[in-house]
Amino acid sequence: MTHQPQTFDFRQSLAAKSKLAGVWRMMTDYRLPYLLATVALAVSAASRTFTFILLRYFADVVLGAQTFAFSTLNQTLALIALAFVALACFEGFFSYLSGRLAAYTAEGITRRLRDYLFDHIQRLSFAYHSKTPTGDLIERVTSDVDSLRRFFSEQAIGVGRILLVFIINFVALLNLNPRLAWLSIVTIPVVLGVSLWFFKLVTKRYEQYQEQEAILSTTLQENLTGVRVVKAFARQDYEMGKFEKDNFEKFKRGKHLLKMHSLFWPLSDVVLGFQMLFGFVYGATLAINGDITVGTYVAYTGLITQLLWPIRNLGRIIVQASSGLVSYSRLMEIVKQDREALFEGRVQPEGQARGDLVFKDVSFMYSDGKSDVLKNVSFHVKPGQAVALLGSTGSGKTSLVNLLPRFHEYTGGSILLDGAELRDYPREYLRKQIGIVEQEPFLFSRSIRENITYGVGRDVSQEEIERAAKAAAIHEVIQSFPDGYNTLVGEKGVTLSGGQKQRVTIARTLLKNPRILILDDSTSSVDLETEAEIREALNSLMQNRTTFIIAHRIQSVMIADLILVLDKGEVVQMGTHDALLRQEFGIYRRIYDIQTRIDEELELEVARAGA
Amino acid sequence: MADNITEIEEEEYTSQLTAPVFKRIVKLVSPYWSWVLGFVLTILAVSALDAYFTYLNKDIVDKGINLGDSATVMRLAGIYGGFILLQAAMVFGAIYLAGVLGERVQYDLRRNMFNHLQDLSLSYYSQMAVGRLMARVTSDSGRVSELVTWGVLDSTWAAVNITTSAIFMMIINWKLGLAVLLIVPVLMVIAVQFRKKILVEFRNSRRANSKITGAYNENIQGVRVVKALGREDQNLVEFQELTDKMYRASYRAAWLSALFLPAVQIVSSIALGGIIWYGGLQSQTGLLTIGGIQAFVGYLTFMLWPVQDLARVYSEMQHSIASAERIFKLLDTRPKVHNRPDAVAATSLLGKIEFDHVDFYYEDRKPVLTDFTLTVNPGETIALVGPTGGGKSTIVNLLCRFFEPQSGEIRIGDIDYTQFTLQSIHSRIGIVLQTPHLFSGSVRENIRYGKLDASDADVEEAAKIAGAHDFIVTLEKGYEQNVGEGGNLLSVGQKQLISLARAVLARPELFIMDEATSSVDTLTEALIQRGMEALMQGRTSFVIAHRLSTIRRADRILVIENGRIAEQGTHAELLRQRGHYYNLYTQQFRHQLEVQYGVDEEGIVETSEVSQTSDVLDEVAAD
Repeated sequence: MTHQPQTFDFRQSLAAKSKLAGVWRMMTDYRLPYLLATVALAVSAASRTFTFILLRYFADVVLGAQTFAFSTLNQTLALIALAFVALACFEGFFSYLSGRLAAYTAEGITRRLRDYLFDHIQRLSFAYHSKTPTGDLIERVTSDVDSLRRFFSEQAIGVGRILLVFIINFVALLNLNPRLAWLSIVTIPVVLGVSLWFFKLVTKRYEQYQEQEAILSTTLQENLTGVRVVKAFARQDYEMGKFEKDNFEKFKRGKHLLKMHSLFWPLSDVVLGFQMLFGFVYGATLAINGDITVGTYVAYTGLITQLLWPIRNLGRIIVQASSGLVSYSRLMEIVKQDREALFEGRVQPEGQARGDLVFKDVSFMYSDGKSDVLKNVSFHVKPGQAVALLGSTGSGKTSLVNLLPRFHEYTGGSILLDGAELRDYPREYLRKQIGIVEQEPFLFSRSIRENITYGVGRDVSQEEIERAAKAAAIHEVIQSFPDGYNTLVGEKGVTLSGGQKQRVTIARTLLKNPRILILDDSTSSVDLETEAEIREALNSLMQNRTTFIIAHRIQSVMIADLILVLDKGEVVQMGTHDALLRQEFGIYRRIYDIQTRIDEELELEVARAGA
Repeated sequence: MADNITEIEEEEYTSQLTAPVFKRIVKLVSPYWSWVLGFVLTILAVSALDAYFTYLNKDIVDKGINLGDSATVMRLAGIYGGFILLQAAMVFGAIYLAGVLGERVQYDLRRNMFNHLQDLSLSYYSQMAVGRLMARVTSDSGRVSELVTWGVLDSTWAAVNITTSAIFMMIINWKLGLAVLLIVPVLMVIAVQFRKKILVEFRNSRRANSKITGAYNENIQGVRVVKALGREDQNLVEFQELTDKMYRASYRAAWLSALFLPAVQIVSSIALGGIIWYGGLQSQTGLLTIGGIQAFVGYLTFMLWPVQDLARVYSEMQHSIASAERIFKLLDTRPKVHNRPDAVAATSLLGKIEFDHVDFYYEDRKPVLTDFTLTVNPGETIALVGPTGGGKSTIVNLLCRFFEPQSGEIRIGDIDYTQFTLQSIHSRIGIVLQTPHLFSGSVRENIRYGKLDASDADVEEAAKIAGAHDFIVTLEKGYEQNVGEGGNLLSVGQKQLISLARAVLARPELFIMDEATSSVDTLTEALIQRGMEALMQGRTSFVIAHRLSTIRRADRILVIENGRIAEQGTHAELLRQRGHYYNLYTQQFRHQLEVQYGVDEEGIVETSEVSQTSDVLDEVAAD
C-alpha cells in the first residue's frame, strides 16, 4: 500500500470550527480507509459474537437433543467445527484489515504532516524564526506530531473498538434476554466514571513524576559536565547528598503513583467481577427455571466477558485522546503562520542580474514597530563595485544587507535593482543572484563535499569542487583529513574552526557564482597567515561582482569603491577611503586614528621592553 | 541530538544471559528477597485463580444448571465471590510489591552509579560522552529494574496461567488437554517470530525518527543558509526520503502487530474446532459435558495472552541484559587516580611546586607532555600562553591531580604529590574555568559551593572581594536569584564573577584560572580583573591567560607549544626575543585594543570567537 505521499494543505484545518472538525479535515484522502477500518472492526467484533451464538446452537441443538444418528452427528459436528474455524479466520482477517487500515491512515497522515511542517517551517519568514526558539519548534514537530499520530492509530480507533464491541455484544445480549442484558451493565456508568476520574488524576501525578525525573536528569547532567568543579572543590559527598535527595523524591513519587494503580485495578476488578457474577447467577436462575436454554447461558457468559472488561480502559483512552487534541492545537499554531512567497513578483526577469543597486531613502523597522533600524539610507552601487559598511553592533549593517535577499522587507523608501523595485522581484530570483559569506557560517552535518555543493543546484564534478576549494584556500586543509572531501562536518566528524568554515562557504559561493556578494569580513582573530589566505580568497571571489562588505576594520574597507559609515541606522558618512580620511571630525577618521594608534602603542610597548 | 543517537545505538545491543551476569542481577534484588517472594506468590495466586474461575463456570453449568440445582449455583457463586475478593487483594499485592520494588531497584542502581561516578577519574570522563553516562544512569537502570520486576511478574503470570489451565483441562479431559497443550509451543514460536520482526521495525523507525529530528533541528538552525541558497525544494525531497523510511518501518511494525494476534487466534481456532468436534462426539458418550466444552473454549481463548506476554518478555530481556552489562561495566571501572594505601593528608600546598621530567599522554597514547620540567616558587604567578592543543590545560589538569603523569614526578613542597590524599589536595585548590560551571539553584548556593558551612556574611564578603557583590544586588532577588540550569540565566561575565567568589570563599592555597576568551563588557571585565588580583595575592597561581593585563602582570610567562615550554620569562624579556611570544602577543594586543577602544561608543564590539563555548570535556579531550 506504499505509494507516493499525497500532499495536503493543512491550513484547511484552520477554518474548522472545532478541534475535532479540524482533525477530520486533516483526514482528507484517508477518510475512506479509516471508515473501512471501523467497518472491518465491526465485522471482526461481530464474527466473535457469532462464535458465541454458534456455541449456543452447538450446546442446545447438538448436545441438548440426543436424537442424532452417529453419522449425522459427525457431519453436523464437522460443519460446526469448520464454522468455528471459519469464523475465527473471518474475525482474524477483519481484525488484521482494520489494524492495517488504521495504521495506513495514521502513518500516512503523520508522514504528510511531517513533510508539510518541515517545508512550512523552512518557508516561514525570518521574522518568525528570529522570535521562535528552536527547541520549542522541535518539541512541537516531534512529540506533538507523535501524540497526534497516536490519536489516530490508537486512541480514536481504540474508543471505536471498545464502543463497537460493546454495542454489538450488547445487541446480541438483548436478543438472548433483554432483562438479563440490562441487568448485566448497570455498574458500567460507575466504572466508566471512576476510570475517567482515575486516569485524569494519574495523568497529573504521572506528570509530576516525570518532572522529578527531569530534575534528577538535570542534577546528573550538571554533575557530569561540572566534574572538574566537583573534583576541584572536593564536593563528591555534597553531590551525592544532592543526588540522593532528588533520587529519593523520585522514588517516593513513583511509589505514590504505584499505590494509586495498585488500588484502582483491583477495585475495578471487584466491581466488574461482581457485576459479572451477578449476571451469572441471574442467568443460571433463568436457565434453571427454563426461561433460557443452557446454550443461551453459555453464550451469555462468553459475550458478557467480551463486553465488560474493556470498559476500564475507556477512561484511559479518552484522557489520552484529549491530550492528542492539545497537540493538534499546538501544531496548528505553527501551521497558521504565513509563508514567504518565493516565486511571486511583478518582475520576472530572465538571465542574470547586472547588479546595479540604488537605495533611495530606505528605512526599515521590525514588525513590533518600536524603532527604526534603518533610516533614510540612500546610495548607489554600480555593477561590479564594492560597498563597505562600517559601524558598531546595532548600527544596522546586517539589517541593511538582509534587505537584499528580501529576508526582511524594507518599510520605507525604495531599492532599485537594475532599475526595478526590489520588492517586485521574486525572492527565489534574488536569492539565486546573491551569495552570502558569513563570518562564522553554519555548516550542515554532512560531508565537506556536500557542504561545498549545498544549494548550488546543479551537478558539480569533483574537479570543479577542488578548483573552488583551492581558490578558497581550503583544499589543503580538506586533503589533510583522513577522508578528504568525504569527511563529515560536526559531531560525528571534524570540528572546523571559524576561519575554515568561512572558507568552505567561500568555495560554495564560488560554485554558486552569484552576481551580488555579501561578505561578513571580520577576520579579527585568525592568525596572520590564515588571514592573508582568506583575504586572497575573498579578493578572487569579489571579481566582477557587486559586493557588500561588512567590516570593523579600516584595512578591510580601504579597497571598497564606496564606504558607508553607519550609526544607529543612519548613514553618517559616505565616500571613498581617501575622501573619508579628509573629514577630520568624522567617525571614520576616528576609527582610523585608533587603529593607527594601536600600532603605535604596540611599537612603543615593544620598544619599552627592549629598553 | 548526538546524545539521542547514542542512546538509540546502545539500545540496539542484545546480549544472552550468562551465569555471572545472572548472579549479579539476582544480587540486585537479593536485599529485597521478601518483596520478590511476595509478588511472585501473589501473582501466582492471581494467575491460578484466573484459571480456576473458568473451571467454576464449568461447574455452574454442569452441576448447577444442568441438574437444575439452584443451591449449588448459589454455593458456587459464594465461592466465586470470595475468590474475586481474594484475587483483588492479590492483584493489589502484586502491583504494589513489583511496582515499588521496581522503583526501589532503579533508585539503588542510580545511587550506586552516581556515587561511583564521583570517584572515577577525569580520564574516564574524557572518553565517555556525557550523553552515554546519562543513558546508563537513566534508561539502562530503568530497563534492568523493569526486567527484575515486571519481567519476572509477567512471565510468572504467563507460565502459571498456562500450567494451571493445562492442569484444569487435564482434569476435565486429559486427552483433550494434552492435545491443546501441544499447540502451545507452536503458538510460542509464532509469537516470538512476530515479536522479533516487529522489534526490528520498531528500531528502524526509531532510528529514522532520530534522523528526522536531526534534520528538523539542522534545517531550523540553518534556515538562513537554506533561504539564502534557495534550497527549500531539495531539502524537502531529502526530508521526504527520511519520512518515507519512517513511514515504511512504522507502517510495517503496525500491520505486523495487527497480524500477530489473528495469526495466533487462527491457529488456536483450529484446536477449538477440534475440541468442538471431538467434544461433541464425546458428549454423546457423556465423557465431555457442555460446561467442559465451554471451559475448553475459555482456556483456549485466554491462552493467547500468556503466550503473547512470554514472547514479549523474552524479546525484551535480551536488551535488558545488555543494559545490565553496561551498568556492571561502569560499576567495575576503577578510578585511575586514587589514594595510595599509605597516602597522608597534605598539610599545605604553599611550598615549591615542581614538575620533574613529566611525561603524559591521554588514552590515545599521543604524547601531550614529554619530559616536561618546571619549578614554581611559592607565591609565584605563572601565565600559560600558546596555541590550543599545545598542552596548557593538561599542565593544569596534572597540577590538580585530575590526571597523574605516566612517568616523572610532580612534587609539592619536595614531596611527590601522589603520597597525599586527593581530598587534601583538592580542598586546597581554587579553580575558575573558562566556561564557568554553575549549578541550578540560587546565587548564594553557588558561591557557598566553595565552603559549605560558610555563613551568609562570609558568602557576601567573598562576593565583595571577587567584585561580584555589586551586580548580585542589582538582580531582582539578589543572592536568592535563581541562576537557571547550568547558570544559563546569567551572562558569561556574571558567571565568571560568581565562580571567582566561589573560589575566594574556598580560601585556596593554590589558585588556577582558565581565562575566558570571549569578551565581556568593560565594566565586568574590570571587575573580573580585580577579583583575580585579590585571589592571586600571596598564593601560587596558574593562569591560562588570554588577557594582556593578566599576561603582563604574571611573574613568569610560559609559552607552551607541542607539550614543551617553547619560551619562558617575563613579559619584557620575551618581547625582546621577538619569537613565539612576540607574535602571539602582538596579535592579541591588536585584537584586544580594538575591542577596548571600541570601534563604537558603547564599547562593545562583536566578538569573532563565539565558538569558544566549548565544553570542559571537549577541552580535556582536545588537549
